[in-house]
Amino acid sequence: MNHDTVVQLSGITKRFAGHVAVIDLSLVVPRGAVYGLLGPNGAGKTTTIRMMMNITMPDEGTVKLFGDELGGRHHSARLGYLPEERGLYRKMKVRETLVFLAEAKGVARGAAARKADEWLDRLGLGEWRLRKVEELSKGMQQKVQFIATMLHEPELLILDEPFAGLDPINQQVLKDTIVQLSRAGTTIIFSTHQMDVAEKICDHVCIIARGRKVLDGALAEVKQVHGGNHVAVAFEDGADGGAAVGSVGDLVAKADDYGVYAELALRDGVDPQALLERLMRSGTRLRRFERIEPSLHRIFLDKAGPDAAQDAAEEAAHA
Amino acid sequence: MHKVWAVVRREFLERVRTKWFLISTILGPLFLIAISILPSLLATKAGRVNRVVLVDEGAGSLAQRLRTQLGRSGRFSIVVLAALPERHDATIDSLTGQVRLQAIDGFLLVSGATMEAGMVEYRGRNVSSLRDMAVLESTVRQSVVVERLNRRGIDPAVVQEAQARIDLRTFRITRRGATGESGEATFFLGYTVGLILYMIILLYGMNVMRSVLEEKQTRIIEVLVSSLRPFQLMLGKVIGVGGVGLFQFSIWSVVGYGIVHYRRQILSWFHVSAEAVNAVHLPAVGGSLVAVAGAYFLLGYLLYSALFAVVGASVNTDSEAQQAQQPVMMLLVFSLITSFAALSDPGGQLAVMTSLVPFSAPIIMPVRVATSDVPQQQLALSLAIMAVTSLVVVWGAARIYRIGILMYGKRPSMRELWRWARQS
Repeated sequence: MNHDTVVQLSGITKRFAGHVAVIDLSLVVPRGAVYGLLGPNGAGKTTTIRMMMNITMPDEGTVKLFGDELGGRHHSARLGYLPEERGLYRKMKVRETLVFLAEAKGVARGAAARKADEWLDRLGLGEWRLRKVEELSKGMQQKVQFIATMLHEPELLILDEPFAGLDPINQQVLKDTIVQLSRAGTTIIFSTHQMDVAEKICDHVCIIARGRKVLDGALAEVKQVHGGNHVAVAFEDGADGGAAVGSVGDLVAKADDYGVYAELALRDGVDPQALLERLMRSGTRLRRFERIEPSLHRIFLDKAGPDAAQDAAEEAAHA
Repeated sequence: MHKVWAVVRREFLERVRTKWFLISTILGPLFLIAISILPSLLATKAGRVNRVVLVDEGAGSLAQRLRTQLGRSGRFSIVVLAALPERHDATIDSLTGQVRLQAIDGFLLVSGATMEAGMVEYRGRNVSSLRDMAVLESTVRQSVVVERLNRRGIDPAVVQEAQARIDLRTFRITRRGATGESGEATFFLGYTVGLILYMIILLYGMNVMRSVLEEKQTRIIEVLVSSLRPFQLMLGKVIGVGGVGLFQFSIWSVVGYGIVHYRRQILSWFHVSAEAVNAVHLPAVGGSLVAVAGAYFLLGYLLYSALFAVVGASVNTDSEAQQAQQPVMMLLVFSLITSFAALSDPGGQLAVMTSLVPFSAPIIMPVRVATSDVPQQQLALSLAIMAVTSLVVVWGAARIYRIGILMYGKRPSMRELWRWARQS
C-alpha cells in the first residue's frame, strides 16, 4: 500500500441471516479520486460503504482507511459520511444541528458556527439557519445534511446515494459542490445507480452486482477495456431502421434499437467501415454514422443487467 | 471529553428550551405553594354558610337541639319547618323545588322515628362537600345520643362530661428527641418524597429512552457513531438529561424553600393572620433528607436511565417502545407501591429489605429517612449496593446499546440482548 491510497478493501465478505450481501470484494480508492460505486438496487453498495465506515464489521477480509485498520471512528475528523437513510434532529434548529454534528467530529464551537453560516449561505439556506429542521422541505433537509457531512473539511467524503431524492436544480448544486471539493483535493466516494451522473463526474468506478465486483478501475480504462466496438446510427425520416439493422445482423453482436436511432455493438473483428458499406449498399439513408465510446449505462447493463445475471446463473449452473 | 460535552450540552439545551420544561418547572412550585400554603388558607377561611331547612315531622326536642347545635357549628343557618308526616311527599317535592331554585342548599328530615331507628335523611346540593357532611353527621349523631340519654333520665351534667371532645395528637420522636412535628405531617412528607422521586426518575429515564429512539428513528445515529464512540454518546445523553432533572429539582428546591421561609409574608397578602399560619405545622425538611434524596435520585436515575437506554436501543418504533418499557416501569411502580407499606412501618422487615434492593432503594430509602431514623450502617450499605449495581448496569447497558442502536428490524429477545452484552 502506498501513500496515495485512501481506502483499500481486501477480500471483504459480509453475510446476513439467510443471504450473503458482499462476497470477496476488493477495491482501491486512490487519493483525490472521485470514485463511483455503481450497482443495481440490492447489489451490496450500502453494505460495502457501511463496512468502509466500520459501522458493520466484515465477516472476512480487511478494511484499511488512510493506511491502517483502526476504523472510521478513529479517523472521524478526516472523514465525512452521508448515510443512505437521511435524517436529522427534527426539533433542533438548522444551524445548531450543524454546529453539534461538527463538534462531534472535534471541531471547535466558534469555528463550526462560522463554517455553518458560510455553507448555509452558499447553498441558499441562509435565511433558514434559525428555523427548526422539521420546518424545512425534504430537499432542504438533504442539503443541510450534506453540509453536515463536509463542514469539518474532511479529506475523504463517503456519500451513499447523494443524488437520490433531489430535484434537478439541487442535483446540479450538489454536483457542482462535489466537483469543487474534488478540485480542492478531497477524495470522494459515492454510490449511485444513476449512470449518467456517474459518467460525468467520476474518474474511477467500481461496478458491483449481487454482492460481487464486476469491474473496477479508471473510467477511461474501463471504457476502453469493456467498451468493445460500438457504432451509433441515425436514419433519415421514413427509413425503415428496423429492417436495416436486421439486414446487417451478421455483423452486429447486440443492437439497442430506438427506431430512428440505434446503438450497435459489432462482433469481434468487424470493421465499422464494412458495416457502413453494407448499409449504403442496401439503400438505407443515414443522417449519422459514428464510432462511439460505449456509455457507462451500456457497460453497466452489459455487466450487471438482467442478461448478465442470466449469464452468471448459467455459469454457476455449469460449475 | 470535548465530544461528550457537546452531547451533554445538546441534550441539556434542547430540553431546557422546550415549552414542556417551562410548564413543568412552573407547575412544580405551584404544587408546592398548594401544599404549603393552602392548609393555612383553608383553615382560616370559614366555609360558606349553608342554608338548610330542618323538616320536623314530630321529632320533638331533637329538632330544637339540632337547630342549636348546627347553628353553633357556623356552617349552617337553620330554619325549622314543622310538617305533617302525612304530607311527607308533598313537603319533599316543594323543598326539592326550593333547592333547585337555589333558594336553599338542602333539607334535613327528622321524625319521631329518628330516635329509635337512627335514620336521618339529608337532601341537598352540597352532599359532595366532605367537610359539611362530616360536621352534619357528627352533630346529628351527638344530638341523637344526648336525646337518648336524656330520655333515660341520665344526669345532664354527666352527659355533657361524656361529650367532651377528645383530641388525639401525634408527635414524632427522633434520635434528637421530640420534634413537635405531627404524625400526619411526617406521613405526608414521606409520601411526597417517595412520589417526587418516582416521578422524576420515571420522567427523565423515559426522556433518555425517547432520545435514543429518536436518533435511531431518524438514522442520525449512523453519522454519530462514525464520529464518537457509542459509550461517549450514551454517557453524554445520560448526563445531559440528568442535568435537566437536577436543574429542575434545584429550581424547585430554591423556590420551595423561599415559599416556606416567607410564607408568613406571602399569606399576609391573602389577609391570613400569623396565628393561623403557625397553627399549621409543616414538616421540617432537614439538610440530611435533601442530601439523601439527591444521592438516591442520582444513583436511581443512573440505574433506570441505563435500563431505559437499552429499551430505546432495542426497539424501532414508539409503539414497540411502549411495550418494551413495561418491565422497567413495573420495577418503578412496584417500588412506589412498596413505599406505601414502608410509610406505615419504616423500620419493618419489608421496608428494610426493599431499601437494600437496588431497584427499589432509590424510592424506599428516602421515604424511610423522611419518616424514621435509619441506622447509618443500613444507609451506607444501601448506597454501596446502589452504586455498584448502577455501575454494572451502566456497563452492560452500554454494551447492548452499542449494538442495538445500529440494529433495525425484529425486536431482539432477552437472550439476544444477553448475547450482545457479552459480545466483545
